[in-house]
Amino acid sequence: MQILLQLIASGISVGMIYGVIAFGYQLTFATSKTLNFGQGEALTLGALVGLTTINFLIGQAIATPWAYLLMLPIVLAFGLLQGAVVELLGVRQAIKTNSEAGWIMATIALGIIFRNLAENIWGRDALRFPSPLPEQALSFGGIRIQPMEIAIVVGALLLMLLVELFNRKSIYGKAVVATANDRDAAGLMGINTRIVITFSYALSSMSAAFAGVLVAPITLTGATMGAVLGLKAFAVAIIGGLSSGAGVVVGGLILGIAETLTGYYIESGYKDVPGLVLLLLVLSLKPSGLFGKPTIKKV
Amino acid sequence: MMLRTTLITLAASTALVSAAYAADPIKVGLSGPYTGGSSSMGVSMRDGVKLAVDEINKAGGVMGRPIQLIERDDEAKNELGVQIAQELINKEQVVATLGFINTGVGQAAQRFYQEAEIPVLNNVATGSVLTKQFSGGTFKNNYVFRNAANDGIQSAMIAEEAVKKQGFKKPAILNDATNYGMLGRSDLKAALEKLGVTAVAEEKFNIGDTDMTSQVLKAKEAGADVILTYAIGPELAQIANSMAKLGWKVPMIGSWTLSMASFIDTSGANGDGAMMPQTFIEVPSTPKRKAFIEAYHKAYGGDRMPSPVSAAQGYDSAYLLKAAIEQAKSTDGPKIREALENLNTKVEGLITVYDHPFTATDHEAVSNNIPVFGLVKGGRVVPAHPEDLAGDKALRMKPKA
Repeated sequence: MQILLQLIASGISVGMIYGVIAFGYQLTFATSKTLNFGQGEALTLGALVGLTTINFLIGQAIATPWAYLLMLPIVLAFGLLQGAVVELLGVRQAIKTNSEAGWIMATIALGIIFRNLAENIWGRDALRFPSPLPEQALSFGGIRIQPMEIAIVVGALLLMLLVELFNRKSIYGKAVVATANDRDAAGLMGINTRIVITFSYALSSMSAAFAGVLVAPITLTGATMGAVLGLKAFAVAIIGGLSSGAGVVVGGLILGIAETLTGYYIESGYKDVPGLVLLLLVLSLKPSGLFGKPTIKKV
Repeated sequence: MMLRTTLITLAASTALVSAAYAADPIKVGLSGPYTGGSSSMGVSMRDGVKLAVDEINKAGGVMGRPIQLIERDDEAKNELGVQIAQELINKEQVVATLGFINTGVGQAAQRFYQEAEIPVLNNVATGSVLTKQFSGGTFKNNYVFRNAANDGIQSAMIAEEAVKKQGFKKPAILNDATNYGMLGRSDLKAALEKLGVTAVAEEKFNIGDTDMTSQVLKAKEAGADVILTYAIGPELAQIANSMAKLGWKVPMIGSWTLSMASFIDTSGANGDGAMMPQTFIEVPSTPKRKAFIEAYHKAYGGDRMPSPVSAAQGYDSAYLLKAAIEQAKSTDGPKIREALENLNTKVEGLITVYDHPFTATDHEAVSNNIPVFGLVKGGRVVPAHPEDLAGDKALRMKPKA
């Protein structure tokens, strides 16, 4: 039993990371029915910008936990900016011309460019990210959890909650929701849907950048760190449903826990299999995702 | 006036050209990953080779000609290694190539050297297959040499240390899912079997995996008393960190990659005590080693080499090649190969004194008595059993065939 709980605890923290990245996919899909396939690179850039910032702050004799907190707004702002750039360069034109695949190519290409940029600026080595919390694990009745793993879960939930609150309560957020519900109608009501879409891309990259600095202290930072995470989060977004914020959280947890359980109870070589099987099952049985609303495509 | 200047210039440039011709450099290829996950090994290897070549050139070069290194970054990618091999052979027309950190890159690139009859000195890659790829069978001559401890030697040493010397009976094997890790695992299993021990758990993981909880937990629940590893730095650090997280501490003994800076730095205190076979440890146990360590830090700064083994083996490989070219009195590939297979001069290297290191059938300069165990302690690799390097044992030589 203790082993099972230990595995679930580790699965939850990995799953929450998947969840935050997938949340970013869901944000842009809601407003524009497009995705940023460079989401993994947005995570990489966020983590690397965070690394440079936190190292600079630590160099100014600021204690690591404070440096980490001070770094967060800079990384979030960078994420917003980076997402807006992706939308302006890669997606806007495709939406304007109603291109079915243009945005796919464009966001993948931008992702590659961002990765090369990161390789040139930060090199190709994996770098150590200073941990803001003690690395000594805490024991809860024999289940051992690193403080940073708890911070990942809390931080991820907090970010998603804040974005959801913003969308539901503020006037700008309502514009986002309106655009998500019906872009044409929102446009007729005087909402500048173009800016709303740009903004959703900015928010999307912001969540990825945030996921980057959350996961960095328990792993290593480097130009390729986002590739696998971005791909897994994509599976999570499909499992959970691209139209549901809560769905991606649950999807992330399912995938994270499935991975650690398979690694232990079946074989570590098959760790990635159940997630992919689940992906195929969801695609064939409920294509809109476990929590997604079925979409009807009008022809 | 005009004509005279032109004539003088012409004469001068002719003189220059012929002078340059007399000291036409000998081109030697250098292929390794200088960026990416294996870069600490690649960069140290390159720096070691460069240090040796600088010394050789300052002392008058080889047959009066300077050595010119053609450095290429293969990024640990097989396909890039192939492109570089073709470029070095056809465009640069190198007389030999030093390098290869990654077994996969070596395997993919070596065939071009074999076909072109240009010798390759593997100075870091450890896959047992590398020197056997073109030996025997339909191949008349093998152009692939190595001065590194191959995985057969290392896995036997690891099993011996864990089972015989330290008395562990229930080892768990943790390896990555690359060629390196999988081949290493089968070598380790074979070595354990010889000692009558079977692993209680065999777990693998992918490059870039961030969570090793399930693998480490499985080894723990299987009652493992020691963890044997075949993987590279970042993932090895994740193992050490996951063990610490689970509050479980058993010794880690593994292949030489446990000496990688990325393992030592990322695992911090959790990695202390990890043991691995080393052909070279950064301690001045002989005057030559002392001089090398000082020269290295003078040239490249710092007080710790990113990968001392790679630097020392790189350094030695350049001197082996120099000796072979001088003996062959030619830069012709087949003649250099013949000279390497029957080196009459003793080459005083860092990891050993090479006395007839190769024969026509044996292309491994490092024998199983040369490496010793290193131990991670306070961010550095130190000798695990200091008596191994004490007195006249400091210099270990390959037994005569």
